[in-house]
Amino acid sequence: MQESNVPHIDVRNLNKMYKHKLVLKDINLSFFKGELTAIIGRSGCGKSTLLRCLNGLEPFDSGSVNLGPITLERKEHTKNEALASALRKNFGLVFQGFNLFPHLTILENLIKAPMVVKKLKREEAKAIALPFLEKVGLLSHVDYYPSQLSGGQQQRAAIARALTMSPNVMMYDEPTSALDPWLSEEVFRVMRQLAAEEMTQIVVTHEVHFVRELADKVVFIEDGEVVEVGTPEELFDNPKDPRTRLFLKRGEK
Amino acid sequence: MRFGIFLLWGILSLNCTLYAEQNILKWGGDANGGAPYLLLDPQNPRKIIGFEYDVAEALAREMGMQAQFVQHQWDNIIPGLNRGNFDIVLNGIEITPARKAEVDFSTPYFYTDELLTVRKDETNIHDWEDLDGKKVGTLKESVAERLLNEHGVAVASYEDQTPIYDDLAFGRLNAVLMDQPIALYYGSIDLRLKTLPKSLGKVAYAVCVRKGQTELVEKINAAIKRLIASGELRNIYERWGVWNNDMAREFPDNSPKHEEATQFKAYVENFHKQSSFENRIEQYKSYAPMLLNGALMTLKLSSLAMICAIILGLFIALSRLYAPKPIAVLAFAFVEIIRGTPLLIQLFLIYYGLPNLGIKLNPFVAAIIGLALNYSAYESEIYRASISAIPHAQMEASLALGLNRWQALFHIIIPQAIRIVMPPMTNDFISLLKDSSLVSVITLVELTRVYGQLAAASYDYLGVGLITAFIYFLMGVPFVRLSRWIEKRYSFDSHTLHGVH
Repeated sequence: MQESNVPHIDVRNLNKMYKHKLVLKDINLSFFKGELTAIIGRSGCGKSTLLRCLNGLEPFDSGSVNLGPITLERKEHTKNEALASALRKNFGLVFQGFNLFPHLTILENLIKAPMVVKKLKREEAKAIALPFLEKVGLLSHVDYYPSQLSGGQQQRAAIARALTMSPNVMMYDEPTSALDPWLSEEVFRVMRQLAAEEMTQIVVTHEVHFVRELADKVVFIEDGEVVEVGTPEELFDNPKDPRTRLFLKRGEK
Repeated sequence: MRFGIFLLWGILSLNCTLYAEQNILKWGGDANGGAPYLLLDPQNPRKIIGFEYDVAEALAREMGMQAQFVQHQWDNIIPGLNRGNFDIVLNGIEITPARKAEVDFSTPYFYTDELLTVRKDETNIHDWEDLDGKKVGTLKESVAERLLNEHGVAVASYEDQTPIYDDLAFGRLNAVLMDQPIALYYGSIDLRLKTLPKSLGKVAYAVCVRKGQTELVEKINAAIKRLIASGELRNIYERWGVWNNDMAREFPDNSPKHEEATQFKAYVENFHKQSSFENRIEQYKSYAPMLLNGALMTLKLSSLAMICAIILGLFIALSRLYAPKPIAVLAFAFVEIIRGTPLLIQLFLIYYGLPNLGIKLNPFVAAIIGLALNYSAYESEIYRASISAIPHAQMEASLALGLNRWQALFHIIIPQAIRIVMPPMTNDFISLLKDSSLVSVITLVELTRVYGQLAAASYDYLGVGLITAFIYFLMGVPFVRLSRWIEKRYSFDSHTLHGVH
């Protein structure tokens, strides 16, 4: 996929403090339409926090996030919940721990948000949800409860749930780190399909093989700072920054 | 406790200006007080009898009015008077300096002695000096209690007379000092005991009215005077077997005996009657409507109070978790204050305290408010803990899907918390069923109160007690069932066990 010229999401000079510690330092990043961007880095480097700042789940201290007509700007600790909420509607977020609603069936998990947020009738919401369940291969499991499904099935259901709200961007926070390689592959298959449909995707992951195969761009973060950005080839085969080299070397062990 | 109530009421007390309806004399008394003052007729527990009942009827008639009895717990009958629940108190109220500060008294309508009752085999106790180092029982706040304290005798103070004489018979007490009518009806006729003839003190009962009602006092005094002159008071006392030399001297009336002690004889007969099993069952059957009414009141109170407590509790819990700081702090303070103070005092403040601020609630409403406020504090803590127990990730996932905080709470978090909440909430409701018996202090007649009345009338504390306990138990059962069902319905751990396609 070729880079388009206009960035879909633009992050400018984003800083976030957590208990007097700067956890994100002057982040400047652009995400382009239809691209899959992988964010890599060690645990606790700020990757997940960055995702949550992007969709307004976490307040940040300064800088801005721009998506289409919406620009979320935060001066020192000021909150802007309405704007954050408007921004959030563009994103679907998939969690490491799936976070399905345990008291609802898979179908109910999918139709809850459309019914509550978009005030759709049950049948209308169902008409939206079923194609997504088919897409992730769970059409035969609509009446199951999350606890009756495998981890891979749960994560696919979580992706389908995020898709029902028709997001412009899908974000994944280590979507496969709780899964074994076989179950992970089920999830990657869905993400591959979405990539083919030119969905903009941002994924925080440790799965180098997946990143190499599918990512258009890789962002390496360390200690809350963006160290290096490039194509998988550039970053993995020819890292410029010594910190990137060190990280990749450790990762090979 | 009584002291505390007096204090409380003393602090809050202002003069209530309430006027009686024309020609109705509302008089307060405690039908639980016991023989021969006021008691439920053992033959017909819906009827109140007693020499004071007869006196009140005669007094009202003499004043050209209609007597209307108002049931009120004896413990706080003076606050009840000042609150305006009734116009006079006529229920063995002895004239004491402390009471004189709170209410106005009529001239006495009854004079009597303080008498000692001991076990049949006791030979060493006759007078004050024999009581040294002995333990003597009497009623709380009575003249007898004051006399015992003045003589430095170890006192055991009771709320009720029946257990005092039982404790004496069982050997827990060495003697009982009591007003003569009680000594006669509870001590003298008990075959295990004997009452000594020597008077250890004098006491007089008078009618109480709210302070400053001189006109009413004068009317009452005139009526008492006429009842003494006509011999009607003496007739009443003779029927009940409580006419004595003190009154012969005070009234004065030295004429020969007018009437037979018919009421006293009936009482003694009933007291010694060996109830056959069939009789007992018949008696319990006759109690059923009263017990049922009491149970209904308990159920009504508890259910309404619980519904209010659930709504208010949820509101408080959410305020503590999600509201802006000042509101959250307020909610926190509410919970701590309500939890940290006794329900009994809260009920007193609402019922007897608020009228001083111009808020006069009827007993039922006051009880619901008191119970609901108290339980809402406990409920809110359960809800807060249960909501906090739902992983934060559930809220995050909801927000990420575009739900706002409130939508997330009501559609995602609370439905999951309900499952955790059910067992402790059921617990609380069962305990509320029983705690609701406290509202009898604000004049409501619920199940425990009915039990007290029936037990006092029949002396069958064990039988009536077991029946009452069983009714409480039965009332709790459906709620336990309901709770189990809700818990199951909202459970999701069990889904793995069944329903797999």
